[in-house]
Amino acid sequence: MSYQHILVQNNFRDHAHIASIQLNRPKVLNALSSAVMNEVVDALWKLEDDMNVRVIILTGDDRAFAAGADIAEMQNDTPIDQIAKNRMRSWNFLTSFSKPIIAAVNGFALGGGCELAMACDMIIAGDKAKFGQPEIKIGTIPGAGGTQRLTRAIGKSKAMYYILTGDMIPADVAFEWGLVAKVVPSDTLLQETYEVAKNIAAKAPIAVKLAKEAVNKSFEMTLKDGLDFERRNFYLTFSSLDQKEGMTAFVEKREAQFKGN
Amino acid sequence: MSEFQFIKTITRNKTGIITINRPEVYNALNLASKFEIINAIKSYNKDQAIRAIIITGEGKAFCSGQDLNDRTVKPESGKKVDIGHTLITEWNPLIMAIRESEKIVTAAINGVCAGAGLSVALACDLKFAKAGNRFISGFTQIGLTPDAGMDHILVRSMGYSKALEFCLTGKALTSEDMLNYGLLNTIAEDPLASALEMSETIADLAPLSVKTVKNNLQYAQDQHFNNVLEREIATQRYLGNSQDYTEGVTAFLEKRKALFVGK
Repeated sequence: MSYQHILVQNNFRDHAHIASIQLNRPKVLNALSSAVMNEVVDALWKLEDDMNVRVIILTGDDRAFAAGADIAEMQNDTPIDQIAKNRMRSWNFLTSFSKPIIAAVNGFALGGGCELAMACDMIIAGDKAKFGQPEIKIGTIPGAGGTQRLTRAIGKSKAMYYILTGDMIPADVAFEWGLVAKVVPSDTLLQETYEVAKNIAAKAPIAVKLAKEAVNKSFEMTLKDGLDFERRNFYLTFSSLDQKEGMTAFVEKREAQFKGN
Repeated sequence: MSEFQFIKTITRNKTGIITINRPEVYNALNLASKFEIINAIKSYNKDQAIRAIIITGEGKAFCSGQDLNDRTVKPESGKKVDIGHTLITEWNPLIMAIRESEKIVTAAINGVCAGAGLSVALACDLKFAKAGNRFISGFTQIGLTPDAGMDHILVRSMGYSKALEFCLTGKALTSEDMLNYGLLNTIAEDPLASALEMSETIADLAPLSVKTVKNNLQYAQDQHFNNVLEREIATQRYLGNSQDYTEGVTAFLEKRKALFVGK
């Protein structure tokens, strides 16, 4: 599949283990049509299957990560159209991937764009980034996870405020509230996201996947079940050669060389 | 840029000069004039040939702040005004346009600064004024409180008690006071000439470097040391990859003047 709306690099900045997906519809501030989302998910499946790829960066451009859904596409829909066309289908797959996906956000991450960023495993934001769920301003509500993920990220009262007013959350505030992992000067966003990706790509890939899975389970499970789940993933890492290498290197006071096995 | 009614814009070499041109009201700003300044700054931002911006005033005043005859802020019988709205939609966008411009914005303070006009002067990156120029808060004289970012800048430079005294008494500060507080760069005989000279010096520097210094110092004003160190790492890594850094080092080694292109 060749892509019309996104740019994919399997070796981002020539790094063997880092891939990137860039939303590439600058004229419409990377509005997320169903065609875009289908391409993003298709690309993610391919990167999931590429054994060399360990970390994926999802980004937009300087002006927008993604400024929302493609309103023109759905403006005149009936509920039946929405159900029949199943435009949101690809969103269901976003949580299917085992490799960490980092959202690198410059500019606007609004509506579907905010939801897409929140569906990633972590968000790194440029200092001029703005997040928000402005759906309420056009007579609807978030439909791709906004009410659920924003609430889990910043708490009920704040999520309610921003979802009912449609106001935007600036990057530094989003950081304080835990929506964003790191804020960097906007010019340096890709470079600094790359540094984070390099850091993660240098870790044991199996441990990274198991850790990602356990963290994400914390949103789905009771604490007791989550702790049990974590314990089992912890045990599981001991079946990997990378765990042996990691602990041996630690004892020998040298840098570990992880191979992903 | 001849579409402006309340300001004049001219270009000198690589510097764009914005002159507030309402001398008949001491350069008070109504809604339209604020947006003219914002639009002038934005178009200079986009112009690669312009490397620095100057704001100055026509006549006796630099800027006397809000035009109190403007419909949006004038209390009329039975009608409430929302000055908060005026700040959100007019003054703060003007202040932010200055602070967030990638170019250095210099205030060539030709005369009195009062009210939010002082906020505009203070928001500028560099400030030059004549000896004995007067700087007035004035807000408390009409039952208000300083706005458009003035509190943030005053309290950091003057300290709480001096800033409070200044804001409450309505007494003017002079250029000499301002210089002592670090709120002016230099007292100059001809502020516009000094501002131009400084702007031309800045114009020869690497634009990405200039922009980063401005951003990083603004950031450092509000942040802990560790956060500043982090930001320095990120921005230095970024600048270290720029074409202009390569040119800068090469020119230094070749003992010639560097020619920066902004990449």
